[in-house]
Amino acid sequence: MLKKVIMLLLLSVVSIYAIEEQNIKKVMDTKVRKVLLVLKDKTLSKQRKEQKSIRVIDDVFDYYTMSKISLGKRWKSLTKNEKTQFSNAFEKKIKHSYLDKLRLYNNQKVIIKDLKKIKHNRSTLETQIIGLDDTYKVIYLFYKKKQNNHWYIYDVNLVGVSIIQTYRKQFSEFLKTKSVKQLIESL
Amino acid sequence: MKYLLFLLSITLFIFQGCSTKQATPHLDNLQVKAPKTTTTPSQKSSNNDQNTEEDTAEDTAEFEAEFEAEETTNIIDPLSGYNRFMTSFNDKFITYALNPVSEAYAYVVPQPFRLGVSNFIHNIQFPIRFANNLLQLKFQNSSDELERFIINSTVGLAGLMDPAKNHMKIPIPAHNEDFGQTLGHYGIGSGFHVVLPFFGPSNVRDVVGITLDAYASPLVNVRGFENYKIPDNLGQSIGIATGDFINKNSLHLGEYESLKKDAIDLYPFLRDTYEQKRISDIAE
Repeated sequence: MLKKVIMLLLLSVVSIYAIEEQNIKKVMDTKVRKVLLVLKDKTLSKQRKEQKSIRVIDDVFDYYTMSKISLGKRWKSLTKNEKTQFSNAFEKKIKHSYLDKLRLYNNQKVIIKDLKKIKHNRSTLETQIIGLDDTYKVIYLFYKKKQNNHWYIYDVNLVGVSIIQTYRKQFSEFLKTKSVKQLIESL
Repeated sequence: MKYLLFLLSITLFIFQGCSTKQATPHLDNLQVKAPKTTTTPSQKSSNNDQNTEEDTAEDTAEFEAEFEAEETTNIIDPLSGYNRFMTSFNDKFITYALNPVSEAYAYVVPQPFRLGVSNFIHNIQFPIRFANNLLQLKFQNSSDELERFIINSTVGLAGLMDPAKNHMKIPIPAHNEDFGQTLGHYGIGSGFHVVLPFFGPSNVRDVVGITLDAYASPLVNVRGFENYKIPDNLGQSIGIATGDFINKNSLHLGEYESLKKDAIDLYPFLRDTYEQKRISDIAE
Protein backbone atom coordinates (compact mmCIF):
# COMPACT_ATOMS: atom_id res chain seq x y z
CA MET A 1 0.00 0.00 0.00
CA LEU A 2 2.67 2.47 1.05
CA LYS A 3 4.63 1.60 -2.03
CA LYS A 4 1.65 2.47 -4.18
CA VAL A 5 1.18 5.79 -2.46
CA ILE A 6 4.80 6.70 -2.91
CA MET A 7 4.64 5.75 -6.54
CA LEU A 8 1.54 7.82 -7.10
CA LEU A 9 3.25 10.75 -5.47
CA LEU A 10 6.27 10.30 -7.65
CA LEU A 11 4.14 10.11 -10.75
CA SER A 12 2.28 13.25 -9.91
CA VAL A 13 5.45 15.24 -9.21
CA VAL A 14 6.78 14.72 -12.68
CA SER A 15 4.28 16.65 -14.66
CA ILE A 16 5.68 18.59 -17.50
CA TYR A 17 4.28 21.16 -19.83
CA ALA A 18 7.14 21.43 -22.24
CA ILE A 19 10.72 20.40 -22.68
CA GLU A 20 13.84 22.43 -22.81
CA GLU A 21 16.50 21.30 -25.18
CA GLN A 22 19.01 19.93 -22.71
CA ASN A 23 16.26 17.94 -21.09
CA ILE A 24 14.75 16.19 -24.08
CA LYS A 25 16.54 12.94 -23.48
CA LYS A 26 15.98 12.95 -19.74
CA VAL A 27 12.33 13.82 -19.97
CA MET A 28 11.64 11.28 -22.70
CA ASP A 29 13.46 8.68 -20.67
CA THR A 30 11.24 9.36 -17.66
CA LYS A 31 8.17 9.36 -19.83
CA VAL A 32 8.97 6.05 -21.43
CA ARG A 33 9.67 4.53 -18.03
CA LYS A 34 6.45 5.91 -16.68
CA VAL A 35 4.40 4.50 -19.52
CA LEU A 36 6.09 1.14 -19.08
CA LEU A 37 5.36 1.22 -15.36
CA VAL A 38 1.73 1.99 -16.04
CA LEU A 39 1.51 -0.83 -18.57
CA LYS A 40 3.10 -3.30 -16.19
CA ASP A 41 0.91 -2.31 -13.28
CA LYS A 42 -1.46 -5.23 -12.91
CA THR A 43 -3.73 -3.41 -10.46
CA LEU A 44 -4.97 -0.98 -13.08
CA SER A 45 -7.87 -1.66 -15.37
CA LYS A 46 -7.34 -1.39 -19.09
CA GLN A 47 -9.14 1.90 -19.27
CA ARG A 48 -7.15 3.45 -16.44
CA LYS A 49 -3.94 2.27 -18.06
CA GLU A 50 -4.88 3.99 -21.27
CA GLN A 51 -5.88 7.22 -19.59
CA LYS A 52 -2.71 7.28 -17.58
CA SER A 53 -0.35 6.54 -20.43
CA ILE A 54 -2.00 9.17 -22.59
CA ARG A 55 -1.61 11.72 -19.83
CA VAL A 56 2.10 10.98 -19.58
CA ILE A 57 2.84 11.71 -23.20
CA ASP A 58 0.22 14.35 -23.89
CA ASP A 59 2.26 17.43 -23.21
CA VAL A 60 5.20 16.62 -25.48
CA PHE A 61 3.12 15.93 -28.55
CA ASP A 62 2.07 18.95 -30.52
CA TYR A 63 -1.12 17.58 -32.04
CA TYR A 64 -2.06 20.88 -33.58
CA THR A 65 1.14 21.13 -35.56
CA MET A 66 0.84 17.48 -36.50
CA SER A 67 -2.59 17.95 -37.95
CA LYS A 68 -1.42 21.05 -39.78
CA ILE A 69 1.44 19.22 -41.45
CA SER A 70 -0.69 16.21 -42.23
CA LEU A 71 -3.07 18.31 -44.28
CA GLY A 72 -0.28 20.10 -46.12
CA LYS A 73 -1.28 22.90 -48.42
CA ARG A 74 -4.96 22.32 -47.87
CA TRP A 75 -4.64 23.56 -44.30
CA LYS A 76 -4.73 27.20 -45.38
CA SER A 77 -8.04 26.81 -47.13
CA LEU A 78 -9.75 25.64 -43.96
CA THR A 79 -11.89 27.97 -41.88
CA LYS A 80 -10.94 28.51 -38.27
CA ASN A 81 -13.77 26.30 -37.19
CA GLU A 82 -12.75 23.53 -39.54
CA LYS A 83 -9.18 23.77 -38.33
CA THR A 84 -10.18 23.19 -34.74
CA GLN A 85 -12.55 20.42 -35.71
CA PHE A 86 -9.97 18.74 -37.84
CA SER A 87 -7.16 18.98 -35.33
CA ASN A 88 -9.39 17.64 -32.59
CA ALA A 89 -10.45 14.71 -34.74
CA PHE A 90 -6.87 14.08 -35.77
CA GLU A 91 -5.65 14.23 -32.19
CA LYS A 92 -8.20 11.61 -31.27
CA LYS A 93 -7.18 9.46 -34.19
CA ILE A 94 -3.48 9.61 -33.28
CA LYS A 95 -4.14 8.85 -29.64
CA HIS A 96 -6.35 5.97 -30.57
CA SER A 97 -3.71 4.54 -32.85
CA TYR A 98 -1.07 4.99 -30.17
CA LEU A 99 -3.17 3.19 -27.59
CA ASP A 100 -3.83 0.44 -30.03
CA LYS A 101 -0.09 -0.08 -30.45
CA LEU A 102 0.37 -0.02 -26.69
CA ARG A 103 -2.05 -2.88 -26.37
CA LEU A 104 0.45 -5.03 -28.20
CA TYR A 105 3.01 -4.23 -25.54
CA ASN A 106 4.42 -7.40 -24.13
CA ASN A 107 7.34 -6.72 -21.83
CA GLN A 108 9.60 -5.36 -24.51
CA LYS A 109 12.60 -3.38 -23.42
CA VAL A 110 12.93 0.19 -24.60
CA ILE A 111 16.31 1.79 -25.04
CA ILE A 112 16.75 5.50 -25.48
CA LYS A 113 19.65 6.10 -27.82
CA ASP A 114 21.02 9.44 -28.89
CA LEU A 115 19.62 12.84 -29.43
CA LYS A 116 20.71 14.39 -32.68
CA LYS A 117 20.48 18.03 -33.50
CA ILE A 118 19.47 18.40 -37.13
CA LYS A 119 19.45 22.18 -37.16
CA HIS A 120 18.79 25.01 -34.74
CA ASN A 121 15.11 24.18 -34.36
CA ARG A 122 15.03 20.47 -35.13
CA SER A 123 16.19 17.49 -33.10
CA THR A 124 15.58 13.79 -33.31
CA LEU A 125 15.64 11.24 -30.54
CA GLU A 126 16.30 7.66 -31.51
CA THR A 127 14.88 4.86 -29.40
CA GLN A 128 14.89 1.13 -29.83
CA ILE A 129 12.25 -1.36 -28.88
CA ILE A 130 13.67 -4.79 -28.35
CA GLY A 131 10.97 -7.13 -29.52
CA LEU A 132 10.82 -10.89 -29.35
CA ASP A 133 12.74 -11.62 -32.49
CA ASP A 134 13.51 -8.20 -33.81
CA THR A 135 14.59 -4.72 -32.84
CA TYR A 136 12.47 -1.79 -33.91
CA LYS A 137 13.77 1.69 -34.37
CA VAL A 138 11.48 4.48 -33.29
CA ILE A 139 12.58 8.05 -33.86
CA TYR A 140 10.84 11.02 -32.27
CA LEU A 141 11.12 14.25 -34.21
CA PHE A 142 11.18 17.44 -32.17
CA TYR A 143 10.89 21.04 -33.19
CA LYS A 144 11.48 24.16 -31.20
CA LYS A 145 8.49 26.38 -30.76
CA LYS A 146 9.41 29.99 -31.28
CA GLN A 147 7.02 31.45 -28.75
CA ASN A 148 8.44 29.68 -25.75
CA ASN A 149 11.63 28.02 -26.93
CA HIS A 150 10.39 24.63 -25.87
CA TRP A 151 10.57 21.43 -27.81
CA TYR A 152 7.62 19.44 -29.02
CA ILE A 153 7.18 16.27 -31.01
CA TYR A 154 5.78 16.86 -34.49
CA ASP A 155 6.32 13.42 -36.00
CA VAL A 156 7.25 9.88 -35.07
CA ASN A 157 9.18 7.62 -37.33
CA LEU A 158 8.41 3.94 -36.81
CA VAL A 159 10.91 1.57 -38.43
CA GLY A 160 11.57 4.03 -41.20
CA VAL A 161 7.99 5.07 -41.78
CA SER A 162 6.96 8.58 -40.86
CA ILE A 163 3.51 8.61 -39.32
CA ILE A 164 2.68 12.13 -40.40
CA GLN A 165 3.97 11.52 -43.91
CA THR A 166 1.68 8.51 -44.16
CA TYR A 167 -1.31 10.57 -43.08
CA ARG A 168 -0.34 13.33 -45.48
CA LYS A 169 -0.47 10.93 -48.39
CA GLN A 170 -3.73 9.43 -47.27
CA PHE A 171 -5.40 12.77 -46.70
CA SER A 172 -4.30 14.24 -50.01
CA GLU A 173 -5.58 11.13 -51.76
CA PHE A 174 -8.87 11.36 -49.88
CA LEU A 175 -9.32 15.07 -50.57
CA LYS A 176 -8.91 14.55 -54.29
CA THR A 177 -12.40 13.16 -54.42
CA LYS A 178 -13.99 14.18 -51.15
CA SER A 179 -14.41 17.24 -48.94
CA VAL A 180 -12.69 18.25 -45.71
CA LYS A 181 -15.97 17.76 -43.92
CA GLN A 182 -16.16 14.16 -45.03
CA LEU A 183 -12.56 13.69 -43.94
CA ILE A 184 -13.29 14.99 -40.46
CA GLU A 185 -16.23 12.64 -40.24
CA SER A 186 -14.23 9.65 -41.38
CA LEU A 187 -11.64 10.29 -38.70
CA MET B 1 28.36 -31.17 2.99
CA LYS B 2 30.60 -28.19 2.57
CA TYR B 3 31.13 -29.19 -0.99
CA LEU B 4 27.39 -29.34 -1.59
CA LEU B 5 26.90 -25.87 -0.19
CA PHE B 6 29.60 -24.57 -2.43
CA LEU B 7 27.97 -26.12 -5.46
CA LEU B 8 24.61 -24.75 -4.46
CA SER B 9 25.92 -21.24 -4.06
CA ILE B 10 27.57 -21.43 -7.44
CA THR B 11 24.42 -22.57 -9.17
CA LEU B 12 22.45 -19.90 -7.40
CA PHE B 13 24.95 -17.33 -8.49
CA ILE B 14 24.75 -18.46 -12.09
CA PHE B 15 21.00 -18.43 -12.20
CA GLN B 16 20.87 -15.05 -10.64
CA GLY B 17 23.01 -13.81 -13.47
CA CYS B 18 20.39 -15.02 -15.89
CA SER B 19 17.43 -13.49 -14.19
CA THR B 20 18.68 -9.96 -13.86
CA LYS B 21 18.39 -9.37 -17.58
CA GLN B 22 14.71 -8.55 -17.17
CA ALA B 23 13.57 -5.19 -18.40
CA THR B 24 12.60 -3.67 -15.09
CA PRO B 25 12.42 0.08 -15.07
CA HIS B 26 14.46 1.60 -12.29
CA LEU B 27 12.44 3.58 -9.90
CA ASP B 28 15.29 5.80 -8.84
CA ASN B 29 15.48 7.36 -12.27
CA LEU B 30 11.93 8.48 -11.94
CA GLN B 31 12.98 11.29 -9.76
CA VAL B 32 14.71 13.11 -12.54
CA LYS B 33 13.56 16.64 -12.02
CA ALA B 34 11.23 17.92 -14.58
CA PRO B 35 12.22 21.22 -16.10
CA LYS B 36 10.56 23.90 -14.10
CA THR B 37 8.97 26.07 -16.66
CA THR B 38 6.71 28.99 -16.20
CA THR B 39 4.20 27.98 -18.74
CA THR B 40 1.07 29.94 -19.08
CA PRO B 41 -2.02 28.04 -20.09
CA SER B 42 -2.06 29.70 -23.49
CA GLN B 43 1.10 27.85 -24.38
CA LYS B 44 -0.71 24.56 -24.52
CA SER B 45 -0.39 23.69 -28.12
CA SER B 46 -3.98 23.32 -29.10
CA ASN B 47 -5.29 26.76 -28.37
CA ASN B 48 -2.60 29.20 -29.27
CA ASP B 49 -3.25 29.57 -32.94
CA GLN B 50 -5.06 32.87 -32.88
CA ASN B 51 -2.36 35.08 -31.47
CA THR B 52 0.57 33.77 -33.45
CA GLU B 53 -0.81 33.19 -36.90
CA GLU B 54 2.03 35.07 -38.67
CA ASP B 55 4.65 33.40 -36.61
CA THR B 56 3.42 29.94 -37.47
CA ALA B 57 3.10 30.74 -41.18
CA GLU B 58 6.87 30.68 -41.38
CA ASP B 59 6.98 27.44 -39.43
CA THR B 60 4.36 25.93 -41.66
CA ALA B 61 6.38 26.70 -44.76
CA GLU B 62 9.40 25.08 -43.16
CA PHE B 63 7.49 21.93 -42.27
CA GLU B 64 5.94 21.87 -45.71
CA ALA B 65 9.35 21.95 -47.37
CA GLU B 66 10.63 19.26 -45.04
CA PHE B 67 7.82 16.84 -45.71
CA GLU B 68 7.56 17.53 -49.41
CA ALA B 69 11.21 16.66 -49.87
CA GLU B 70 10.68 13.25 -48.35
CA GLU B 71 7.49 12.47 -50.18
CA THR B 72 7.71 9.24 -52.11
CA THR B 73 6.71 9.87 -55.66
CA ASN B 74 5.28 6.74 -57.15
CA ILE B 75 2.33 8.18 -58.94
CA ILE B 76 2.69 5.67 -61.75
CA ASP B 77 0.74 2.68 -60.62
CA PRO B 78 -0.27 0.74 -63.72
CA LEU B 79 -1.21 -2.34 -61.75
CA SER B 80 -3.45 -0.54 -59.26
CA GLY B 81 -6.53 -2.57 -60.24
CA TYR B 82 -4.78 -5.89 -59.78
CA ASN B 83 -2.96 -4.60 -56.69
CA ARG B 84 -6.18 -3.59 -55.04
CA PHE B 85 -7.64 -7.00 -55.69
CA MET B 86 -4.51 -8.73 -54.38
CA THR B 87 -4.47 -6.54 -51.26
CA SER B 88 -7.98 -7.56 -50.35
CA PHE B 89 -7.16 -11.18 -51.19
CA ASN B 90 -4.14 -11.06 -48.86
CA ASP B 91 -6.21 -9.29 -46.24
CA LYS B 92 -8.78 -12.09 -46.27
CA PHE B 93 -6.05 -14.68 -46.34
CA ILE B 94 -4.43 -13.17 -43.22
CA THR B 95 -7.71 -12.73 -41.37
CA TYR B 96 -9.35 -16.06 -42.17
CA ALA B 97 -6.47 -18.45 -42.72
CA LEU B 98 -3.08 -17.28 -41.49
CA ASN B 99 -4.18 -15.74 -38.21
CA PRO B 100 -6.44 -18.56 -36.99
CA VAL B 101 -3.77 -21.11 -37.87
CA SER B 102 -1.05 -19.06 -36.18
CA GLU B 103 -3.19 -18.58 -33.10
CA ALA B 104 -3.81 -22.29 -32.79
CA TYR B 105 -0.12 -22.92 -33.34
CA ALA B 106 0.83 -20.33 -30.74
CA TYR B 107 -1.58 -21.94 -28.31
CA VAL B 108 -0.02 -25.36 -28.71
CA VAL B 109 3.64 -24.47 -29.12
CA PRO B 110 5.31 -22.52 -26.31
CA GLN B 111 6.88 -19.22 -27.18
CA PRO B 112 10.54 -20.11 -26.48
CA PHE B 113 10.28 -22.90 -28.99
CA ARG B 114 8.76 -20.61 -31.60
CA LEU B 115 11.50 -18.10 -30.98
CA GLY B 116 14.02 -20.88 -31.46
CA VAL B 117 12.54 -21.77 -34.83
CA SER B 118 12.58 -18.13 -35.83
CA ASN B 119 16.22 -17.76 -34.77
CA PHE B 120 17.15 -20.95 -36.57
CA ILE B 121 15.65 -19.79 -39.85
CA HIS B 122 17.18 -16.36 -39.47
CA ASN B 123 20.59 -17.88 -38.84
CA ILE B 124 20.45 -20.22 -41.80
CA GLN B 125 19.67 -17.35 -44.13
CA PHE B 126 22.98 -15.81 -43.25
CA PRO B 127 24.33 -16.06 -46.83
CA ILE B 128 21.75 -13.53 -48.06
CA ARG B 129 22.73 -10.92 -45.48
CA PHE B 130 26.44 -11.62 -45.77
CA ALA B 131 26.46 -11.39 -49.57
CA ASN B 132 24.40 -8.23 -49.70
CA ASN B 133 26.38 -6.42 -47.04
CA LEU B 134 29.50 -7.29 -49.02
CA LEU B 135 27.95 -6.21 -52.31
CA GLN B 136 27.13 -2.86 -50.73
CA LEU B 137 30.71 -2.65 -49.42
CA LYS B 138 29.49 -2.61 -45.83
CA PHE B 139 32.46 -4.52 -44.52
CA GLN B 140 31.85 -3.94 -40.84
CA ASN B 141 28.33 -5.29 -41.22
CA SER B 142 29.51 -8.33 -43.16
CA SER B 143 32.05 -9.15 -40.51
CA ASP B 144 29.36 -8.69 -37.85
CA GLU B 145 27.16 -11.10 -39.75
CA LEU B 146 29.97 -13.62 -40.12
CA GLU B 147 30.72 -13.39 -36.42
CA ARG B 148 27.06 -13.81 -35.57
CA PHE B 149 26.79 -16.83 -37.83
CA ILE B 150 29.81 -18.53 -36.25
CA ILE B 151 28.79 -17.79 -32.67
CA ASN B 152 25.11 -18.62 -33.10
CA SER B 153 25.73 -21.78 -35.12
CA THR B 154 27.99 -23.19 -32.44
CA VAL B 155 27.31 -21.76 -29.00
CA GLY B 156 23.77 -20.92 -30.08
CA LEU B 157 23.00 -24.58 -30.82
CA ALA B 158 22.82 -24.44 -34.61
CA GLY B 159 21.17 -21.04 -34.51
CA LEU B 160 18.30 -21.90 -32.19
CA MET B 161 19.50 -19.23 -29.83
CA ASP B 162 20.98 -15.83 -30.44
CA PRO B 163 23.84 -15.48 -27.94
CA ALA B 164 25.64 -13.05 -30.25
CA LYS B 165 22.95 -10.51 -29.51
CA ASN B 166 21.72 -11.54 -26.09
CA HIS B 167 24.72 -12.78 -24.17
CA MET B 168 27.70 -10.81 -25.45
CA LYS B 169 29.16 -7.93 -23.55
CA ILE B 170 28.82 -5.81 -26.65
CA PRO B 171 25.87 -7.28 -28.56
CA ILE B 172 26.44 -7.91 -32.24
CA PRO B 173 23.32 -6.79 -34.07
CA ALA B 174 22.01 -8.41 -37.24
CA HIS B 175 22.20 -6.33 -40.40
CA ASN B 176 19.31 -7.28 -42.60
CA GLU B 177 20.14 -6.64 -46.21
CA ASP B 178 18.62 -8.26 -49.26
CA PHE B 179 19.21 -8.04 -52.99
CA GLY B 180 16.38 -5.56 -53.42
CA GLN B 181 18.23 -3.21 -51.08
CA THR B 182 21.50 -3.82 -52.90
CA LEU B 183 19.89 -2.89 -56.21
CA GLY B 184 18.43 0.20 -54.58
CA HIS B 185 21.78 1.03 -53.04
CA TYR B 186 23.26 1.28 -56.53
CA GLY B 187 20.57 3.66 -57.65
CA ILE B 188 18.10 1.31 -59.30
CA GLY B 189 14.61 2.74 -58.95
CA SER B 190 11.76 0.77 -57.43
CA GLY B 191 9.71 0.47 -60.61
CA PHE B 192 5.99 0.18 -60.18
CA HIS B 193 4.32 -1.31 -57.18
CA VAL B 194 3.24 -4.96 -57.24
CA VAL B 195 1.29 -6.75 -54.56
CA LEU B 196 2.34 -10.39 -54.45
CA PRO B 197 -0.03 -13.10 -53.32
CA PHE B 198 0.77 -14.11 -49.72
CA PHE B 199 3.97 -12.06 -49.56
CA GLY B 200 2.20 -8.73 -49.74
CA PRO B 201 3.46 -5.38 -51.04
CA SER B 202 6.50 -5.34 -53.30
CA ASN B 203 7.74 -3.62 -56.44
CA VAL B 204 9.51 -4.59 -59.63
CA ARG B 205 12.97 -4.09 -58.16
CA ASP B 206 12.18 -6.09 -55.06
CA VAL B 207 10.64 -8.95 -57.05
CA VAL B 208 13.99 -9.23 -58.85
CA GLY B 209 15.62 -9.00 -55.42
CA ILE B 210 13.49 -11.79 -53.98
CA THR B 211 14.39 -14.03 -56.90
CA LEU B 212 18.10 -13.42 -56.35
CA ASP B 213 17.62 -13.96 -52.61
CA ALA B 214 16.09 -17.35 -53.38
CA TYR B 215 19.35 -18.35 -55.07
CA ALA B 216 21.37 -17.32 -52.03
CA SER B 217 18.99 -18.80 -49.46
CA PRO B 218 19.67 -22.40 -48.43
CA LEU B 219 15.95 -22.82 -47.82
CA VAL B 220 14.72 -22.53 -51.40
CA ASN B 221 15.57 -25.28 -53.84
CA VAL B 222 16.98 -24.16 -57.18
CA ARG B 223 18.02 -26.57 -59.89
CA GLY B 224 21.80 -26.86 -60.20
CA PHE B 225 22.42 -25.84 -56.59
CA GLU B 226 21.26 -29.09 -54.97
CA ASN B 227 24.33 -29.57 -52.82
CA TYR B 228 23.94 -26.24 -51.14
CA LYS B 229 20.18 -26.32 -50.64
CA ILE B 230 18.29 -28.01 -47.82
CA PRO B 231 14.96 -28.81 -49.56
CA ASP B 232 15.16 -31.26 -52.47
CA ASN B 233 12.11 -30.11 -54.34
CA LEU B 234 9.59 -27.34 -54.67
CA GLY B 235 7.15 -29.03 -52.30
CA GLN B 236 9.69 -29.05 -49.51
CA SER B 237 10.63 -25.43 -50.17
CA ILE B 238 7.00 -24.43 -49.93
CA GLY B 239 6.64 -26.50 -46.77
CA ILE B 240 9.55 -24.72 -45.11
CA ALA B 241 8.32 -21.31 -46.25
CA THR B 242 4.82 -22.01 -44.92
CA GLY B 243 6.16 -23.17 -41.59
CA ASP B 244 8.35 -20.11 -41.33
CA PHE B 245 5.42 -17.90 -42.27
CA ILE B 246 3.12 -19.30 -39.59
CA ASN B 247 5.86 -19.35 -36.97
CA LYS B 248 6.85 -15.76 -37.70
CA ASN B 249 3.24 -14.62 -37.69
CA SER B 250 2.60 -16.32 -34.34
CA LEU B 251 5.21 -14.02 -32.83
CA HIS B 252 3.54 -10.93 -34.26
CA LEU B 253 -0.15 -11.59 -33.74
CA GLY B 254 -2.34 -8.51 -33.71
CA GLU B 255 0.20 -6.26 -35.40
CA TYR B 256 -1.39 -6.38 -38.82
CA GLU B 257 -4.81 -5.52 -37.41
CA SER B 258 -3.33 -2.66 -35.45
CA LEU B 259 -1.60 -1.31 -38.53
CA LYS B 260 -4.72 -1.71 -40.61
CA LYS B 261 -6.66 0.58 -38.32
CA ASP B 262 -4.44 3.50 -39.33
CA ALA B 263 -5.57 3.21 -42.91
CA ILE B 264 -8.33 5.19 -44.51
CA ASP B 265 -7.96 3.18 -47.71
CA LEU B 266 -6.01 -0.03 -47.22
CA TYR B 267 -4.26 -0.46 -50.55
CA PRO B 268 -2.60 2.98 -50.94
CA PHE B 269 -1.81 2.94 -47.23
CA LEU B 270 0.07 -0.35 -47.39
CA ARG B 271 1.69 0.66 -50.66
CA ASP B 272 3.03 3.96 -49.32
CA THR B 273 4.09 2.45 -46.04
CA TYR B 274 5.99 -0.26 -47.85
CA GLU B 275 7.72 2.12 -50.25
CA GLN B 276 8.67 4.46 -47.40
CA LYS B 277 10.07 1.60 -45.40
CA ARG B 278 12.13 0.31 -48.31
CA ILE B 279 13.56 3.75 -49.00
CA SER B 280 14.67 4.05 -45.40
CA ASP B 281 16.05 0.48 -45.42
CA ILE B 282 18.10 1.25 -48.50
CA ALA B 283 19.39 4.52 -47.08
CA GLU B 284 20.60 2.78 -43.94
